[in-house]
Amino acid sequence: MDSGRSRRIGKGALLLLVCLLPIAMRGNDYFLHVYIVCAINIILASSLRAMATTGQMSIGQAGFMAIGAYTSAILAAKCGIPVYLSMLGGGCAATVLAALIGFPLSRIRTIYFVMVTMFLGEIIRLVVFEASSLTGGSTGLMGIPRPEAFSFFGLLQIDFSNKLHFCYLVLLLLLIILLVLYNIHRSHAGTAFAAIGQEESLSSSVGINVARSKVLIFSVACFFTGLAGSLYAHYMTVLNPDAFGTFTSLYILIYVVVGGRSFFGPIAGAILLTLIPEFFAALKEYQPYVFVLVLFLIVFLLPGGLVDLPRRIRESVRKAPLEEAR
Amino acid sequence: MVEPRVVPPSPTERHPEPSASMFETRKLTRFFGGVCAVNDINLTIGEGEIVGLIGPNGAGKTTVFNLITGFIRPSSGLVMLNGENLVGKKPHAIAGRGIARTFQIAKSFPQFTVIQNMAAAGHLYGGAGFWEGIFRTSPYRSKERSIFDHSMKTLGFVGLEPWKEAVAGTLPHAHQKLLGVAMALATAPKLLLLDEPLEGMSAEEVDRTLEIIAGIRARGTTVLLIEHNMRAVMKICDRIVVINFGQEIARGTPEEVRQNEEVVKAYLGAAEYAG
Repeated sequence: MDSGRSRRIGKGALLLLVCLLPIAMRGNDYFLHVYIVCAINIILASSLRAMATTGQMSIGQAGFMAIGAYTSAILAAKCGIPVYLSMLGGGCAATVLAALIGFPLSRIRTIYFVMVTMFLGEIIRLVVFEASSLTGGSTGLMGIPRPEAFSFFGLLQIDFSNKLHFCYLVLLLLLIILLVLYNIHRSHAGTAFAAIGQEESLSSSVGINVARSKVLIFSVACFFTGLAGSLYAHYMTVLNPDAFGTFTSLYILIYVVVGGRSFFGPIAGAILLTLIPEFFAALKEYQPYVFVLVLFLIVFLLPGGLVDLPRRIRESVRKAPLEEAR
Repeated sequence: MVEPRVVPPSPTERHPEPSASMFETRKLTRFFGGVCAVNDINLTIGEGEIVGLIGPNGAGKTTVFNLITGFIRPSSGLVMLNGENLVGKKPHAIAGRGIARTFQIAKSFPQFTVIQNMAAAGHLYGGAGFWEGIFRTSPYRSKERSIFDHSMKTLGFVGLEPWKEAVAGTLPHAHQKLLGVAMALATAPKLLLLDEPLEGMSAEEVDRTLEIIAGIRARGTTVLLIEHNMRAVMKICDRIVVINFGQEIARGTPEEVRQNEEVVKAYLGAAEYAG
């Protein structure tokens, strides 16, 4: 059997395992909770990575998440719009803002982009905080409905107040989003985006519309970020502006850096950094310190991120016999 | 010394001014603050010509390229390609109209392999869109294939085919320069602007590259060339325009320019400064 085929079988088996895990653990509410949070974090990190390929490294993504979460929650709880539509509305609201500010943002680079997005995220949080008649302000927004129950031709009763069922909704959206992001990554446009991240002037000289590309991928990333926010809102059923601070944005960035900048990097980073505080429950209040420690370890020992680990191991294994022979 | 294999056009083939111009600049001028970097430059290039743009360091040659390709806006003047004024258009739009360029300092996408570099540069050629890429429609995949084929053909043309899997940032200098040329060609340009393509190359590499430039013309692409290697410029160019301090000081066939007093003075002056 060639290695390409066995690798594909391995990947399929891993995917199947991930899909079956919630059923196997269906009695364990805590596990399902971690699973859902993990999936949401993967969406956030993968979206940030997609836009970061063009050099747009944002630390304001929690702001876009907040827009998605509050838009969807208010539409569903106060306007009575079906949750499926309101979630779409949450994603669209984040996209509209991204498209509006994308053009001025496309002209600034590196640290300036980071600074502007950080303030943007903080402004969004403050607006949510101040508009208390609509958002509940610091007391929070309560009574956000779960997505409506339905049945598959009377055969399968789906009820999202059940954590297991919600888990599969999140998983379905996660897989669709990852498929879309993966297709962008390997498409021609994805190559152009990564080209912009490396050499902006060369990109434009070969005909790539740099500003349009940056706004496009920024908008797509913010759509998924908003969608992740609305998933979060309808899962938690309670929202508080404190959940969308700069630290949340920073964590999303740390998932990407720890995982690595390749496509699967943010997935690995989000999983590891969501699980660490859960496994060591005693460490939970020290979460920022744990993250910084992991970040330092990665930056010094594994600059390519977690996804670089298999290659590093392979190389050291290959090297070892040679060194012995010497 | 390796005898160059490039056959220079015979003197009778060399025409002093093109009959029908495909490209021209009219009174192209650019100020930087109070300094006039490019002053009233009128270039006229006919289809299929190789025109040299020479002058001492700091004469404003690269600024002319940046003005033509939209990286810098002219203070005044026009840039005309087939009767269309390109002033005010963005670099990517000008590339889309058919003007490609290389950079004086070899530029590539350093983390990409050579073939990925070509794919990024083949953007205009294939016209593969963003949304169809997400759904991987069958027209999209055939466009992707045609970009790949075009890239491989262009790599073969400049002789970089064996390097297609090499990471661009690790290529030797001369190969990086050739990759820049190949990427510019990948946009299928009508006019190619080469900014010191021979800089830092060995004698054999220079001859190879001159053959490639002659080949580019043979494929129907017009070339405007900045180069300091006088022997090469004299050999390959149909006509030469000499500028100094942003102003044109001479133009004509290589023979005419070689004997022009102003040109000799400008270059000797520069040599005195350098010495």
